[in-house]
Amino acid sequence: MDTEKRKEQLRTMFAKVVDHLGYKFSPDEELVDFLLEQEVNIEKEKGHPFCPCQGLTGEREYDMKLVCPCIPFHREHYDAMKRCWCGMYVHKDVDDPDSLMQISLKEFLESKK
Amino acid sequence: MKKVVMYTLSTCPWCMRAKKFFREHDVPFEYTDYDKADDSTKKAIRADCLAHGSEMSFPFVKIGGDVVVGYNPDKYSKLLGL
Repeated sequence: MDTEKRKEQLRTMFAKVVDHLGYKFSPDEELVDFLLEQEVNIEKEKGHPFCPCQGLTGEREYDMKLVCPCIPFHREHYDAMKRCWCGMYVHKDVDDPDSLMQISLKEFLESKK
Repeated sequence: MKKVVMYTLSTCPWCMRAKKFFREHDVPFEYTDYDKADDSTKKAIRADCLAHGSEMSFPFVKIGGDVVVGYNPDKYSKLLGL
């Protein structure tokens, strides 16, 4: 299957999932397009559309938490950032993704103390 | 100037933006793309990330003795005194 067709398939499939979680695709279309393309390439190589911004370990239990959309596994952290780590998804109330920062897991956990 | 060393992914746009930031500010840096590295390098990077209390979220940026996980130009600037 060609890359463009698979990108559109993933887009349709992911939209349904993230909608239920209160997220939407980022309005930054260029970013979304780039990330979807990376995921198609990763899927061709690794078998699953893993997150392009997270490192895989080769340990299935850990890595499967990074299959896009990985929001359910990182819900609390992503809710705090109002975006996923890649920024492909943002909360539905976000119109300006440029204002959203990446907050490391360590910082997030420390902020909860 | 403090030494800048990054762990990055070739698929990650925020890693690309981090590299661009340092180039635009004439800050020399070294980087390793985790996804392109051999197994022993990957193992070492993973150990380094975990030692800093981080999942392997990229970019992972070491500026001198400090670590910034994620694309954060404000923190990069502050640590480098830009």
